[in-house]
Amino acid sequence: MSEIIRIANKRIAVENDGWLLLNEAGADVWPEGDVIVPLADWLARRDTLKSRTGRTGVWLAPADDTLSLKDAFDGLALIAVQFPKFTDGRGYSHATLLRRRLGWTGELRAFGEVLRDQLFYMARTGFDAFVVPDGLKAEALTGGLNDFSVAYQDAVVDPAAPALANRAAAVREAKIARTTHQLQKIAAKHPDAIFATSLSAEDMVITDLIARHSLPIHITTLDTGRLHPETLGMIGEVKSKYGIDIEVMHPVAEAVEAHVATHGAFAFYESLELRKACCGIRKVEPLNRALSGRSAWLTGQRRDQAVTRVHLPEAEHDEARGMAKYNPLADWSWDDVLAYAARFDVPLNPLHARGYPSIGCEPCTRAIRPGEDPRAGRWWWEQADAKECGLHVGPDGTLTRTNLESAA
Amino acid sequence: MYRYDAVDRLLVEERAAQFRGQTERFLKGELSEDAFKPLRLQNGLYVQRHAPMLRVAIPYGMLSSDQLRVLGRIAREYDRGYGHFTTRQNIQYNWVEIARVPDILDELAAVEMHGIQTSGNCIRNTTTDHLAGVAADEIVDPRPYCELMRQWSTFNPEFAFLPRKFKVAFNGAGQNRAATGVHDLAFDLKLDAAGEVVMDVMAGGGQGRTPRIGPVIKRDLPWREMLTYTEAVLRAYNRWGRRDNLYKARIKILVESIGAERFAADVEDEWRHLKGGIARITDEEFQRINACFTDPAYLSDDEASADLSGLRVQHKRFDAWLRRNVVAHKRAGYAAVTLSLKRTGPAPGDATDTEMERAADLADRFSFGELRVSHHQNLVLAHVARKDLFDLWQAAEAAGFAEPNIGLVTDIIACPGGDFCALANARAIPIATAIQERFDAAKQEAIGELAVKISGCINSCGHHHVGHIGVLGVDKNGEEWYQILVGGRSDNEVTLGTILGRSIKFDEVPGMVERLVDVYLNAREGEERFIDTVGRIGIAPFKAAAYPDKVQAA
Repeated sequence: MSEIIRIANKRIAVENDGWLLLNEAGADVWPEGDVIVPLADWLARRDTLKSRTGRTGVWLAPADDTLSLKDAFDGLALIAVQFPKFTDGRGYSHATLLRRRLGWTGELRAFGEVLRDQLFYMARTGFDAFVVPDGLKAEALTGGLNDFSVAYQDAVVDPAAPALANRAAAVREAKIARTTHQLQKIAAKHPDAIFATSLSAEDMVITDLIARHSLPIHITTLDTGRLHPETLGMIGEVKSKYGIDIEVMHPVAEAVEAHVATHGAFAFYESLELRKACCGIRKVEPLNRALSGRSAWLTGQRRDQAVTRVHLPEAEHDEARGMAKYNPLADWSWDDVLAYAARFDVPLNPLHARGYPSIGCEPCTRAIRPGEDPRAGRWWWEQADAKECGLHVGPDGTLTRTNLESAA
Repeated sequence: MYRYDAVDRLLVEERAAQFRGQTERFLKGELSEDAFKPLRLQNGLYVQRHAPMLRVAIPYGMLSSDQLRVLGRIAREYDRGYGHFTTRQNIQYNWVEIARVPDILDELAAVEMHGIQTSGNCIRNTTTDHLAGVAADEIVDPRPYCELMRQWSTFNPEFAFLPRKFKVAFNGAGQNRAATGVHDLAFDLKLDAAGEVVMDVMAGGGQGRTPRIGPVIKRDLPWREMLTYTEAVLRAYNRWGRRDNLYKARIKILVESIGAERFAADVEDEWRHLKGGIARITDEEFQRINACFTDPAYLSDDEASADLSGLRVQHKRFDAWLRRNVVAHKRAGYAAVTLSLKRTGPAPGDATDTEMERAADLADRFSFGELRVSHHQNLVLAHVARKDLFDLWQAAEAAGFAEPNIGLVTDIIACPGGDFCALANARAIPIATAIQERFDAAKQEAIGELAVKISGCINSCGHHHVGHIGVLGVDKNGEEWYQILVGGRSDNEVTLGTILGRSIKFDEVPGMVERLVDVYLNAREGEERFIDTVGRIGIAPFKAAAYPDKVQAA
């Protein structure tokens, strides 16, 4: 009895297989039970075979004419296709023709030299069962089914929308896969990696991916003391949806009190310097405390969020803090974020639906009008090129970027 | 040029990750040499005479300066400081370590490059005219179609294990510079009466042991059906191509054995089920890809032009370079310039790491940061303003790229041959050098256009079948011998060369080439090129001169 790998409803299962494959054609009597007979026997003795008690399957050799099975499916429990050598690719055309031309919907199994790196191609041409060759282990093969997350061309089975037929859908799928790979690599490379979430939609996508793939990435957020209640509410949402406790960092109380005492509670409207001083106390300092001693941090920044972020790399070196910094959503659009959230039922800050694409502290954020820049509601009284809080800067306090693409 | 989006990027990254896994399993002994072989081949990794060889795809020959710099850096950091541009517009490295190949693939992926399907029995890198998009005689820009073919053929699950390798080429110009006549599958692009792009399709051409010119199997195929039709051709080949004999496995043998008409009818029959289906090219996807191939920000013809006549008189070599290495562009103010990789000494098509970096700098300075690799194994700057030609010539001269020999006898095509390739019977590079040494600048100028092509074995990577003069290395009792062919060409009047006679020894080759050239020079009428003279007077006078000791009736 051999092992067989099955794909059903996109799930992979390994089972024992009770089918007996008969190599030689020309038999008149068959053993009891489930047998797989050569194509010639099925075509010549179908009625006799159908009257047996056990189930009957048929197998195709590479040189067999697939299309001879036209109108000969009745009574057939499965079709098996032989790969005498894995370099013989005729079986892929057998499968495509069986599925597409003849409309075979039953089990289609590959047997013979069925190796790990052929499984992806086999599954795409419509095979849903793979006999594990003697001497190999099923676990050593199944990984091959997931080597690629998207495909260019359509085939019997596509991992996602084929890019040549529906680029937009394929691109969205590819972004999710690339971000997932990047998060996995970061987690593997930096066991102390920390994700600083602002609880925005972008950051909820990253949180969802971290949770979905059980990645050991620590999550922290900054409670500046001036956040909207809706924003703070997301901490509980994350806990209830994912069971993840976000570590909440607070500003140093004395620093906040001293700043308010000297400049008043709304000094940030008066000048860029005072606004940045406030950000420094309420955001930058607590973040630096959270990041301190770690080798890498992650953000949900995207390139098309702001003029200050158009050259944002996916991986960079945070020189000011001497650590790696990753922006796994760098190439995502706002629509990509919303589409992901809708598809995976990601909880979102309700303010997004009220016209706040980018959310900071309550006094410094307002809704935007349709067509406005997504960050137009942040520090709306300032120039667009100044609008960073100071979390994402180089050693001299200006926006500099050190590309570190290859480090991720 | 085409720019990757998340889909393209993901696929090369996932491929690199897959190959890293495969390589680790191989190095740990979990994957046998036999099982690893087709996997490494489909990533461009061969085991060669001295070391593994890695072939990197340059899709239809298009390169950015940034990509070329990375190719140069890879040559320096992972190889012995050079790479070899091939007759299929790719680059190969001769001295890589298997264990480091996954790292190279990661480096390539970061600049939108890979080694996917550059070898193995699968659909290989698509090739085309190195002047695509700029040629003055272009009818249809082939690049978007090449890119569509690249995507469709990449990891196509049904056609990854074909009977043998499968090479696709496109031509969209009046003068065929893509050798479409000698490809497994080729498309000639043209416009129908309504101005729509249609294609003549040829199948079953190829060089190798059994050289064949591909017959036309379909005329006026609507462009949107390019991929559905290709699927029908590939399915016929995958199912019915021979797998019992390596030497009979190319599609040309199938086409020839059943006849082109019958093959065309079988394909048509299969295509009925496919045309108009999901693989029909959508306007949206075509537009997306086509938008990558828009013109760069050209100056007006007035701004770009310059009167070079004074400089031509002053600088004889500049004048020769203009005549030989510079060709017309669709814009009157611009020209396409070939950087010659055919210096006497280095192997044809070889470039060192610093040369690649210098060529990248020239591309940035003079040609919008873009280059092409020609199947003649040279680099091309396709968009040079005429006013910059003198500056470019000086810079190219300083960098060693200004040998004014494009199309001349020393612009030799040669495969790596017995110096590197495990398949070769004989060396090709020293033959190229020995021939180059026979012809100085004045002599080759006097001869004019003459394509010498050298292959170290019958696999014909050096295109000897379609050389005006072809040289083929053969093995005779373990010794290197050479057959000489005359009269081959790969242009519109594609013709296979004729073998002149018995094979000769290494030392006899340059002399024989010289004698063949003398036959031409003596018989030439007016401006006639070598190949025209062959057409007019036939092969016999060349045979007679080739073997003077043999008395032959002409």
